[in-house]
Amino acid sequence: MCNAARRAFSGVLLALLFTASAAAESAQDIVAGADRVRNPDKPWHVTVTTTAYTSGKPTDRNVFSVYAKIDPATRQFRDIVLYVDPPRDAGKMVLFRGTTLWFYDPASKDSIRIPPQEMIAGQASAGDLLVENLAVDYTATLLGDETIDDAERKTRDCWHLELKAANEAATYNRVEYWVEKTSHDPIKAKFFSDSGRQLKTLYYRKFAPSLDGIRPMQAIIIDAVDPTLVTTLDFSGGDYRDIPDFWFQRDYLPHVKAE
Amino acid sequence: MRPLACACRTVVLLVAFGMPAHADEQGDLDRIPAGAAETPVSKTDNGSPLQSTLYLQNDFSGFEQRSGLVVPLPENTPLSWEERLFFDARVEWRLAPAVSLVYSGRLNFRAADDLPFPDHENIRHDLRETYLSWQAGDGLYIELGRINLKSGVALGYNPTDFFKASAVVEPTSADPSVLREDRLGTVMLLGQGVWNGFAVTLALTPKLTSPRPIEPDSTLPSFDPLFGRTNGETRFLAKASVTLSDDITPEFLFYAADGETRFGLNFTRSFGKQLVGYIEWNGGERASLIHEAIVFGRDTGALPGAAFAVLPQNGAKAFRDELSLGLSWALEDQITLNLEYHLNEAGFSGNNWQTWFATGTGGDPFVRNVLWYIRGYVGDRQVPIARSGLFLRASWQDAFVRNLDLSGFVQADTRDASGLAQVSADYDLSRTWSIGALADVTFGGRHTDFGSLSSETTVLARVSWYL
Repeated sequence: MCNAARRAFSGVLLALLFTASAAAESAQDIVAGADRVRNPDKPWHVTVTTTAYTSGKPTDRNVFSVYAKIDPATRQFRDIVLYVDPPRDAGKMVLFRGTTLWFYDPASKDSIRIPPQEMIAGQASAGDLLVENLAVDYTATLLGDETIDDAERKTRDCWHLELKAANEAATYNRVEYWVEKTSHDPIKAKFFSDSGRQLKTLYYRKFAPSLDGIRPMQAIIIDAVDPTLVTTLDFSGGDYRDIPDFWFQRDYLPHVKAE
Repeated sequence: MRPLACACRTVVLLVAFGMPAHADEQGDLDRIPAGAAETPVSKTDNGSPLQSTLYLQNDFSGFEQRSGLVVPLPENTPLSWEERLFFDARVEWRLAPAVSLVYSGRLNFRAADDLPFPDHENIRHDLRETYLSWQAGDGLYIELGRINLKSGVALGYNPTDFFKASAVVEPTSADPSVLREDRLGTVMLLGQGVWNGFAVTLALTPKLTSPRPIEPDSTLPSFDPLFGRTNGETRFLAKASVTLSDDITPEFLFYAADGETRFGLNFTRSFGKQLVGYIEWNGGERASLIHEAIVFGRDTGALPGAAFAVLPQNGAKAFRDELSLGLSWALEDQITLNLEYHLNEAGFSGNNWQTWFATGTGGDPFVRNVLWYIRGYVGDRQVPIARSGLFLRASWQDAFVRNLDLSGFVQADTRDASGLAQVSADYDLSRTWSIGALADVTFGGRHTDFGSLSSETTVLARVSWYL
C-alpha cells in the first residue's frame, strides 16, 4: 500500500490508550493506531519537500502542497497534491479520490485520468505524497514481535505486521510494517508490487508536535532496485483547513490555488 | 546493468560470509545520507497575490519535404529550417479575495528560410487568455474575457473539445498534448458551479467579427488577437458532470453554433490498478468535412463558388459521430501506454480519397488549390481527416537516468495504413533548465492520407529556461 509519505503525516493521541491494552489489540487495531499517529482526522494541509539523493549527494528537490480530507462514508482520505516547485511543474495537480486519479496540467488547462499504478512508479512517486488510512485499505496480520533500529539507529520494540491490499484503493499489493508498541509510532515499512518485487523501504523519523499530536516530520524512502537512490520527504507547515467536499472533483481543479 | 552487477556482488558476499541477522536493515540504514538529517528550506506556496509561470524557450527545427507528390502543392515553397525564440507567460493576479485577473500568452521571435529578415513577421504575439474571474460564492465562478475552455478525456483526439477549431497558431509539434498547451482561447462569458458530486458549466461566446480566412504561418500578423479565428460566430456550450461513485463521473455536453447542434459524452472507468478505459463522443446533424471546407472557403473569400464543382460532395446534413475510445495502461517501470480508436464520420470516405487523388493528378492549378485548401481546412479544425484511425502513445518517465523522459506516438489511418510517428526526449538539467529533442516522420504510399503530404520529416531541438 502506500508509502511513506503518503501517510507521511499523522495522527494522534490514542497511543497511550493503545499502550495499555496492547496485548488485546488486533493487527488491524495496531495499524489503525499508527494511522492516527500519521494522520489527523480533520481536514488538513501540509507542505512536503522531497529531496532526492544519488550516492549520498542531493540531486533534486521538489515542493508540494497536500490537502487531505477523510470521506466519512469510507474513512479513506481524499487528497489534492499541488506542485509548488520547481517552476516548470508549478500548478500541476493530482487528485486522488477512492480509486480515481486525475492529473491536471495548468499549461493545457486540462486533466487526464491516470491508472493508480502510475502513483507507485518511481522512487518517490505521487503515491508517496498521498495521505491514506492503511487500516481501511489493507488487511493486517501480526507476524510477531521484533526489535529493530529506527532511522536514527535507536532500538525500537515493534510489532511486525503484514498488510495485504483489501480493496482497489490500496496503492500497493503488500506491505511489511513495523509499529512501535509503546507509542504506535510507525517506524518502518517495506512496499511490494503486484508481482511481488520489493519496491521501496521506508523509515519515519523526526517525531515532533504537530496538529494536536506527535507525528513523524520526515519519511525516508530507500529504493530497493537501485542502491544509490534515497529520497527524503520533509513535512512542514501543517495546519487544519476548511476544505469543502466539492474540491475533490475534476471540475474544481482549475480553481485550486496556492494559499 | 548496474543493479544486476550489484546483485551479483551481494550474492557472492552472502555465500562467502553467511547472511547476518538484520543485514538488509543495517544496509538500508547505511544508505541514509548524513545530510538528510537537516530540514530543507524550500519555496512554499506563500499565497502571494501574483502567481506566475514564466519561461524562455528556443526551438530550432529542420524540415525535409517529400518529393514527387501525387497532387502537387499549388505554391510549393518548401521550408527547410525555422528558428524560434519565445517568452511564455501565465500570470494570475489576485485583485481582491474573490477576483482575479488572468493573462496567458507567448511572445515569439522567429526566423525561417521563407521569411525575410528583419521584418515585422519576425515578431509575433499569441494572446491565449485574458480574463477576469469572480468567485461569486462557494464553488460558483463567473469569468469574462478570452478563456481557454477545454473538454475531453482522450489524448490523441478530443471530439468534445468544441473550441479547438482554428485555435492553434503555428504549432511547434504535431503532438496533440503540445497542441493543447499553446492555443488561443475564445472570448466568452463563462459560469461554473461545482457542488459535491455535481458540476455545471455554461459558456456563451459572441460573434465579434467575421471568420478569419485560413492563412499560412509566414503571413501571420505580429500583434493581433485573431478574434476572427475564435469568435467568428456565436456559440454556446453547456456541460454537466455527475459523480455516481468515486470511479464513475460521466460528463454530458450540449453545443450549439450557427445552424449546428451537437451532443457529447465523456466517460472514464478503471479496471484494476493498471488500466483506465475512456470514451469521448459527440454526435449531431452536420455536413461532410469537404462541404464544410468549401463553404468556409467561399464565406471567407478564399474560394469562388466554382469550388463546389471540384469534388463531388453531398451538402446534405446527416447525424454524424465523432468518437475516441481508449485505454491507458500503466506498467510497473514508469511506462504508460495509451491506445485509442478514432472515428470521424464527417471525414473522407474511400470514394472521397479516390476522387481527391484522381482529380488532383491533372494540371489545373485551380483544382489543386481547392484540393489542398480542403486538407488545410481539416488541419485547421484539428480533426482527423480519416474516418477511422488508431493512436498509440508510449511515455517513459525517468528512462535510464533520473529526469529523462522519453515518449513517442503513432497516429495511423486504418484505411490505408499510413501515419505519423514521433519520438521525443526531454531532460531536466537543473531546477530551471531543460533540453529536449524530437523527430517525426509521415509514412505511407503516395496515394495515402499521410503519404500524400508534403512534410516528410521534422527534427527539432529545444532548450528551456524557467524564471
